[in-house]
Amino acid sequence: MMRLIRLPFVLSLALLAAAATGADKLKVVTTIPDLADMTRQIGGDQVDVTSLATGVEDIHAVPMKPSFAVTLNRADAVVLLGLEAEHAFLPALLEAARNPKILRDTPGYIDCSVYITPLDVPTRIDRSLGDVHPMGNPHYNVDPVMGKEAARAIADGLSRLRPEHEADFKKNLAAFEAKLDAAIARWEREAAPLRGKKLVSYHPDLIYFAERFGMEPVGTIEIRAGVDPTPGHIADLEERMRREKVDLVVRELHYPAGLAETVARATGAKLVELPVMTGGVPEAKDYISFIDYDLHTMLKAVQGS
Amino acid sequence: MERVHRRWGAAALAAVLAMGARRVRAEDVPIEQLRRELRDMQGQLEKLQEQIKKQQQVIDKLSAGQQKAPATAAAPPPAATAADEERLKRQVTEQVLRRMQPALAAANKTFPSQFNPAIGLILDNVFSYSEKDRGDFEFRAAELGLSASVDPFARGYAIITGSPDGFDVEEAAIVTTSLPYNLTLKGGRFFADFGRLSKFHDHDLPFVNRPIALDRFIGGESQADGVELSYLVPLPQYLTLTAGAYNKLGAENDRVSNTAPRDFSQFTYLGRAATFLNLNDANSIDLGTSYAYTPEVKVDNGASRHLAGIDLTYRYIPLSQASYRGLIWGSEFLYNQEDRPVGGFPAAEPALSLARGLGLPPAAPAVADPPASLVFKRRDAASFYSYLEARLSRRFHPGFLFDWVQDVDHVTGDTKGYSPYLTIWASEFQRFRLQYTRLDAPEGHDNQFFLQWTVILGSHVHGFRDR
Repeated sequence: MMRLIRLPFVLSLALLAAAATGADKLKVVTTIPDLADMTRQIGGDQVDVTSLATGVEDIHAVPMKPSFAVTLNRADAVVLLGLEAEHAFLPALLEAARNPKILRDTPGYIDCSVYITPLDVPTRIDRSLGDVHPMGNPHYNVDPVMGKEAARAIADGLSRLRPEHEADFKKNLAAFEAKLDAAIARWEREAAPLRGKKLVSYHPDLIYFAERFGMEPVGTIEIRAGVDPTPGHIADLEERMRREKVDLVVRELHYPAGLAETVARATGAKLVELPVMTGGVPEAKDYISFIDYDLHTMLKAVQGS
Repeated sequence: MERVHRRWGAAALAAVLAMGARRVRAEDVPIEQLRRELRDMQGQLEKLQEQIKKQQQVIDKLSAGQQKAPATAAAPPPAATAADEERLKRQVTEQVLRRMQPALAAANKTFPSQFNPAIGLILDNVFSYSEKDRGDFEFRAAELGLSASVDPFARGYAIITGSPDGFDVEEAAIVTTSLPYNLTLKGGRFFADFGRLSKFHDHDLPFVNRPIALDRFIGGESQADGVELSYLVPLPQYLTLTAGAYNKLGAENDRVSNTAPRDFSQFTYLGRAATFLNLNDANSIDLGTSYAYTPEVKVDNGASRHLAGIDLTYRYIPLSQASYRGLIWGSEFLYNQEDRPVGGFPAAEPALSLARGLGLPPAAPAVADPPASLVFKRRDAASFYSYLEARLSRRFHPGFLFDWVQDVDHVTGDTKGYSPYLTIWASEFQRFRLQYTRLDAPEGHDNQFFLQWTVILGSHVHGFRDR
């Protein structure tokens, strides 16, 4: 009899415990899947991670869905690229989410750019320069070395929120860094044929990638960041590309195909179509396979030519 | 060691003698004086030798200590080197920081101004031509927007508009940022949470003019002086509930004065629920319902006014081409019920009866018959607009707006408007718009053409409200 009475009690205790462990996880919302992958690897079983973007979007034009406000409302932390990359959707969503835990400069606001040395920091802030980012180019996630810095910021952020698990986060970070270091060494070897190659992209999405692998960005199809080209700009760009013998035209997949193709055809450059985030193509299922995909696609184009 | 010592002494003596000899030859002084000088020099030399000897002793002592140190100290040399390195690094850092400090301090001098609010200015111009009213270059507005955090608990913003009518505070509101239980409180003058497009400023509308449905029933923008409490229901499904109390609703709603004090029964009270359905990654629906209730509208015979609305917005935004492709279909349906004078208000009557209703002296000389002669009747009316806009590229967004409005006084028939338009975005901050409107009004048809040129200077926030 006693045993019969005890059984539901034990069962409910077990259920409670299960619920408690589930509820105990840090609910982390990242803006892009790259950061979601890193947060999962560093946070381990301490985190429950959701990404707002799926990876196919333009980081500057992620639709501002009210359902994101609900996701952010329940979050313990938000992880972002920073450098105003998410300016088009995150500030407004944070306002709509009514979650004081993740407002800017609170412990739950994990800005991954804290250890990044930004490139292309403007010397003049003026709208005549286009959609200029006052703190520098924010597309650093395409450089795996910068990816390591972002991971460090994530580990810092998680430790801030769960100091009792700091050692675990550090251990996981070290493991992730080791994995990334091995990949970086391989990528640097593989990227030898890319050295000195000149590229034109649609938007300045690949500055960090080019810098890492010794490529030379020559210009963009956009007349200025965030501003669609004019026919005059395209004519000038094509002339410059022919003069400077540009090897590659990169179309980031969230930009229209037609114009990039036309420019490539007119100048004899190879057209390369690249995702700029994890999840941008099915092959880029995590951060390492994303960089793998971009690098190998670029290599294929160069070696094919 | 002794040999070194002696060699130093000899060298010094030779040097002194050489110098002395040169001087003797040069000046040709008497012998006695020479001897004296020589003695002095000898004295100096002895002192010098003594000094060198002492220094040598110190050197010997130090070098002996250094030789002994590794033997006595158990600490391995690498540790000492690491500590030295650390110290050196710290010294270098400190030195760099000391050098940078003046530059940092100079930069700090600009900091007080950084507390200034973000400032944006919007310039909106329209050239219009209508068959009835002919052409007009219309400077619509220069709209100054200011916004900043107040403190950890609130933020504030103001939109001040200069137009041919003068300066007007369109909005100036305080919004809480850290209330518990998903609550947000807003107070001041702002666009009340009624429907969708009534919360948009004129220049933010997808077309040149505010839909007639909103203009007639709400009175332009849903501007209101009052308070509003909004609640994000803690559900996995997005649902917000809003409750508000205002002097009146609608910037150009002349049923009620905005400045005179009044009974609680003469305020306007609002309730709204809004939700969002994510059909899939690319397709979604926003759905909202609003209800504004004024228990006693003093401009008529003191009866109540009900204004209800349903808004539905369908969006197709392909995630990977969000800036280049898309479709938006937005519609609002409004229903109004209130007492209206049979045959409508005579000309200039609203202002007069408004003053009477609030117990104020008439603002303008009485030009009409005594208002007492008006007979009121309960009237209900509906209005509707619907627009469809396609995003063909980042630059070109064509659309079509349909408007239908019933006369709230039931005096004349319905008004209908058909407006194809094309918006051309030069950039995110500069926009041209062409619009044609065919107006079918009871008083006759009109063909209207519009060309709008709008720019944004300075700070521009992508607000959640302007979705």
